[in-house]
Amino acid sequence: MEIALQDVGQAYGERWLFRHITAQFRPGTITAVTGPNGSGKSTLLRICARLAAPVEGKVTVTEGERPLVKADYRERLALVTPELRFYPCLTAWENMSFLLGLRGQELSPACYSELLSRVGLQEARLRGVLAGSLSTGQRQRLKLAVLLASEAQGWLLDEPGANLDASGRALVMGEARKHAERGGLVLWATNDEREEAAANACIDLGRSEAGL
Amino acid sequence: MLLRAAIVLLTIGVLFAVFCLVPPAEGLGYYVRLAFFHIPVAWVAVLAFLMSAYYGVRYLSKQELLLDRLSAASIRLGFIFVLLATLSGALFSKLTWGAYWNWDPRQTTIFVLLLIYGAYLTLRSALSGADRARRARVCAVYALFSFLTVPFLVFIVPRLYFSLHPQPVLNAAGHIDMEPVMLATLLAALLDATCIYLYFLYRGVKELPAGGKRHE
Amino acid sequence: MHASTWAGVKLVFRKEAVSALRFRAAWAAMFMFALTTLACVSLALSGARLAAPLAAALLWVILFFASVAGADRVFAEEDTSGTLLALRVYGGAQAVLLGKMLYTFVLLLALGVFTVPLFLVFLDMTVASPLLLAMACVLGLAGVAAAGTLIAALTVGAAANSGLFAVLLLPVILPVFLPAISLTAAAFGAGEASLAYLGGLVLYDGILAVGASVLFDYLWYEE
Repeated sequence: MEIALQDVGQAYGERWLFRHITAQFRPGTITAVTGPNGSGKSTLLRICARLAAPVEGKVTVTEGERPLVKADYRERLALVTPELRFYPCLTAWENMSFLLGLRGQELSPACYSELLSRVGLQEARLRGVLAGSLSTGQRQRLKLAVLLASEAQGWLLDEPGANLDASGRALVMGEARKHAERGGLVLWATNDEREEAAANACIDLGRSEAGL
Repeated sequence: MLLRAAIVLLTIGVLFAVFCLVPPAEGLGYYVRLAFFHIPVAWVAVLAFLMSAYYGVRYLSKQELLLDRLSAASIRLGFIFVLLATLSGALFSKLTWGAYWNWDPRQTTIFVLLLIYGAYLTLRSALSGADRARRARVCAVYALFSFLTVPFLVFIVPRLYFSLHPQPVLNAAGHIDMEPVMLATLLAALLDATCIYLYFLYRGVKELPAGGKRHE
Repeated sequence: MHASTWAGVKLVFRKEAVSALRFRAAWAAMFMFALTTLACVSLALSGARLAAPLAAALLWVILFFASVAGADRVFAEEDTSGTLLALRVYGGAQAVLLGKMLYTFVLLLALGVFTVPLFLVFLDMTVASPLLLAMACVLGLAGVAAAGTLIAALTVGAAANSGLFAVLLLPVILPVFLPAISLTAAAFGAGEASLAYLGGLVLYDGILAVGASVLFDYLWYEE
């Protein structure tokens, strides 16, 4: 799967957030999206996910020669962003099995507890707890668990280290690296220099805006 | 410019024909003049709805904002025409049958159309905060979804209200024994109204997506 | 329908049902709305008997506005709690739409089961044909569920969306509404029921559901 941005620009009202972004994201690479707060990192990620349409320019996604559209593309994506929320009235297990179930993936209890321990959560402490009363750190780790379980090829991560301690951030970095090595595609919006350094390529939105 | 002149000439011609050539119809007298305003305006109200659905389909497949603006401009114009059609229809109804409103099939149809136009415009203004692509998409979907009422309006409403109001009143107006001069005038008036609609539709889109001005 | 779509529909339906059982405010408000309106109407009439066509119209006005109070939340709730993003990323368009439509339908059926008997008791109506009344209600509410689910998706993110929902829904639902009222009036003993209306209702419910399903793709995938 390959995502290509061609001269993409996004505006809110009269104000351009960014313009003339041309880039290609290939499997096996981690691309960092950097820039100061408000420079449009999250927006660019949403555009790449085709959850929003850019004001100008085009986003094309292809696999081999075949263009991927609509459900075919979305099924290959997984997101970790601050805007992603779990259903507050469902437990962690219910949330996870619901979201994965929509993708046609059966989540076994064994697999579930293994995933939780991989992201540093204890299954026993989550049992019977509604997602609405989890701590922000726990929720962030749960998002990572869904990401890992999703088997999606494209990972769009928006500040995935937010609300995590040092070990959590190291976990994210390690998993992203592993995913890229397996041939996955990672887009990573970040302000952290170490995370930026771990990426293969970088799009700096702060700079592109300065060029207007 | 040439187009505008042609439309003005046509309008003058139609007005002349309506007031000087058309004989009073039996049973209706000179009230029949109102029909030459009412029928074309009602026709355009329906046409504008069809056009907006057409541009809605085109928008959803092409995603060009111009198509969305055409669809919306058509609705805005259609809203004006449907208001005029409703008012002139009510007046005509009062003058000929003694009541402003009696829910006969065509009145029902035009009223549903009025509701749809109003709903579309409300939706559009409520979405002014959203980004333009999303607004365009949502509006196109609504235009098409409301278009699903068309078979109902055409096939079922006449039956439904036939049973409640046994006298098929309005049909008589359209099918009075037409003299050639009346038929010609009516056709010219229909053409004129259609041209006025198309003129404002494309002009409004070229300049700004603003509402069309009244023009008679 | 695709097997995986059907599995998705069931998942969405179950999710809605479980959330509704744990968080009752959404549907409790709808039922209370119906009850309040009914009580108002009954008090205002203070025991006067209504003619069948009038009673039928009144019943459907109550059902319509009460169902508006329940059905408009089906996407708005996901939007305000922020879960819409997860649903959009993981859920397919048809599974989400049909799952929510099914849930709305079941919810509205419950509303009907709650409202109609109370209406009959409060207004002292006699039902000439209970079967016809039940069919009119089921088919009418099915139409509201089919159209309402798509309209609810349209109003996500719109300013002032509570009034907007009813405004958008009414013209689209009229073709269901009017035959349903006629059939209900016939069930209350006013005139003969026409089977054509029943057929028309079924047909129109189908048209609305299919139309919603086709158009929803364009809302779910913005490309």
